[in-house]
Amino acid sequence: MNETTNKTALISRGGGLIDLATRFGFPIVLVLMFVALSSSTNSFFTLDNQMSMLHAMAPIVIIASGMALVVMSGKLDISVGSIAFLSVALGSLLIKQAGWHPVAAYTVTLLIGAVLGAVNGFIVVVLKVNPLITTLGTMIAFRGVALQVTNANVIVLPDEVRKFGNLTFGPVFADVLIAALVLVAVHVLHERTSYGRQITAIGNGETIAARIGLPVGRLVFTNFVLCGVLAAFGGIFAAAQVGSVTTFLGQGLEFTAVAVVVVGGISLFGGQGRILGGVALGALTFEMIRNGLNHLGANPYSYKLFGGVVIFIAMYADALKARSRKSPGGG
Amino acid sequence: MNTSASPELAMTGISKTFPGVVALDQAHLSARAGEATAVMGANGAGKSTLMNVLGGVTRPDAGSIELCGTRIDIASPRDAASHGIAFVHQELTMLPTLSVAENIFIDDFPSKGGLIDRAAIHARCQIILDRLGCTISPDRIVGELSTGDRQMIEIARAMRREPRVIIFDEPTSSLTQPEKRRLFAVIESLKRDGAIILYITHFLDEIFEICERVSVMRGGRTVGGGSIETFKPVDIVRLMLGEVDVGTRLKAPLDERQKTVLEVRGLARGTALQDINFDLYVGEVVGLWGLLGAGRTELARALVGLDPIDHGTIRWHDGTALRPISPHALHKLTGFVTEDRRGEGLLLPLSVNDNLALPSLKRFLNPWGLLNRKPQAALADTMIDRLGIKVSSREQSAGTLSGGNQQKVVLGRWLATEPRLFILDEPTRGLDVSAKTEILKLTAELARSGATVLLISSEIDELMRICDRYLVMVRGAITAELPGSASHAELMDALSAPVASHMTQRARA
Repeated sequence: MNETTNKTALISRGGGLIDLATRFGFPIVLVLMFVALSSSTNSFFTLDNQMSMLHAMAPIVIIASGMALVVMSGKLDISVGSIAFLSVALGSLLIKQAGWHPVAAYTVTLLIGAVLGAVNGFIVVVLKVNPLITTLGTMIAFRGVALQVTNANVIVLPDEVRKFGNLTFGPVFADVLIAALVLVAVHVLHERTSYGRQITAIGNGETIAARIGLPVGRLVFTNFVLCGVLAAFGGIFAAAQVGSVTTFLGQGLEFTAVAVVVVGGISLFGGQGRILGGVALGALTFEMIRNGLNHLGANPYSYKLFGGVVIFIAMYADALKARSRKSPGGG
Repeated sequence: MNTSASPELAMTGISKTFPGVVALDQAHLSARAGEATAVMGANGAGKSTLMNVLGGVTRPDAGSIELCGTRIDIASPRDAASHGIAFVHQELTMLPTLSVAENIFIDDFPSKGGLIDRAAIHARCQIILDRLGCTISPDRIVGELSTGDRQMIEIARAMRREPRVIIFDEPTSSLTQPEKRRLFAVIESLKRDGAIILYITHFLDEIFEICERVSVMRGGRTVGGGSIETFKPVDIVRLMLGEVDVGTRLKAPLDERQKTVLEVRGLARGTALQDINFDLYVGEVVGLWGLLGAGRTELARALVGLDPIDHGTIRWHDGTALRPISPHALHKLTGFVTEDRRGEGLLLPLSVNDNLALPSLKRFLNPWGLLNRKPQAALADTMIDRLGIKVSSREQSAGTLSGGNQQKVVLGRWLATEPRLFILDEPTRGLDVSAKTEILKLTAELARSGATVLLISSEIDELMRICDRYLVMVRGAITAELPGSASHAELMDALSAPVASHMTQRARA
């Protein structure tokens, strides 16, 4: 008897520490990392470098915003990288081969993103296939289609698009402003609209949400469509930044997006977390590691190891949080 | 208020068949405004299905529902809500990461320019909470609230649309005493406002406290009902359980007590189990008799450490003397079988052979630590033969067996470890009549071979065919002990006796 009470006391004390660490741990680590990098290299803490970090983050912030909505509903979409590739490739072909105006062409890109998201939504909601399996399948399939339509060739984008990709207002890149706008909009959608609250409700428990009478299927479907649109939107900027659509566009992006979301404290179990702070913090973490290692002159491949460790820590913290949420009263 | 004789809510001729089961057979129910109507019935009587029909969760095959004189059609929970029918589910439908106000308005947020009007939901939520006498802030996150508070929020959500009918499905099963008093006060105030209250519970004392009418169901039919004043607790229990054909006993009750195997003193856990004391003797089958929710399963789980206990000691006769034993240690010595065959570890894709040998694998290891297949197969064949498990071969996968044969495999698995104590919790639930009899015969045989069996069953006829002794449980306490020769009527009376005495005490006070 005594032993068990001691144990539970220990656990709850540990829970308090963990709680503190999970709540403020990442911002603290981030600040420490920032200070360390600034003091150990001359080139890290410069306006130019800071701005280029934000610039590099912009596409992933947009894509991760959509991912965050899907994760909030307790689902996952790992096809976002392939959606970005396929939709941007098709849009870019419209410019190069059909001579479309870039604005019209990339509007079509967004529509294609919506359609591809709808395919995911259809398979998940109507065919009732597990989201991870669904989007694993479409991740491979969409990329395959894209490689086919591009013949695996690089599409070089016209100058006007390249210029836009690196357009600046003063020191700030245009795509940084757009990514910030998207992020804030998605945040407001999540926190202040009926839609946002209802997908969070689904993330709390799909059967509960259905019993309350929420249109679960419709909401989940819409969520995948939105995620597809944002994946396409982020893909446009990713392509514009490098000035071409390569066969690598969006490759691995799906996992970076999931990692960003998880590191930002948005639980993969669904229903938990805040989008604005979470996505910004998560994206900054990864970009700082990548950029910082670069400035330290580290082996470029070491980024993957560091990234992996960060993801592991974030997932572990998430699992701990979920455990401590479940333990009291079994609620 | 309408005081005419015709009821405001009338459900008539409601029938519903699920594949293989008639859940409702011409059931009916009537209820009046300003009154609470208790819907009683044993497990599987059809009361949940009937309430689900009213709540729009289940569509009936036949029947009609009239509310305030108009016939209504309820196709979905939304339909039910639009007719002013609210359902407070037993399993709470709270969303832990959202706030109280968000939980209440989740399916219908008032909004302004596309954004949720937070001031409005806060204010409206506060009005509802005030009406319920609830002091929780609308901005609290529901995950931080106690179960009782969550239930209040559940009721608050039901109240949002000013319902005419409110269904409470076993609302008190997880509440503490003060929380229960608060709930009853709320129900009284809802009655004063003229609502039709339907109240489902397994607790007899509650319905005499807050209900004006009662309707009793059994086997999918409505078997009785009326003003609660015309009923005594024992009448309701009799209606619920019905007269049963006990049939012949499979085992004559033991006359003498042998050695004590297990001694339980002062066992308690929260409100679920209170000061449980009993002994079990060698070679007897003890029936744990009580209504659903009396704490029988909770007791079984606490004994083997599946639920924690707050107080109490358990002593086990280890061959030489009675010595204290922890529930976890007891678990290893006990054959624990429940209605949940999969949950208890029957591995459906594996063969009967592998399933039977699983807990005794160590016995079959050769010196290199590899499995010796022959003795394992021999064990399986023995068990298949002894239990009469119907299989094409011992390699047949467990998932392809019938429920009764699956249950035999579970039993056989424990038999192989030769435990001296079995705890069987509704081992025959969901089995057909002949499979039930076979399981009971096996149980009798276990006792004859010297094991002790603690048997939980909701079916009185089952218990009466096999038990040497009964422990009667009411509301988490053992209230009586009856000999194996106890009659049907005595067993029935034992369930309502504590309620009846409690009521007379209150009447005197």
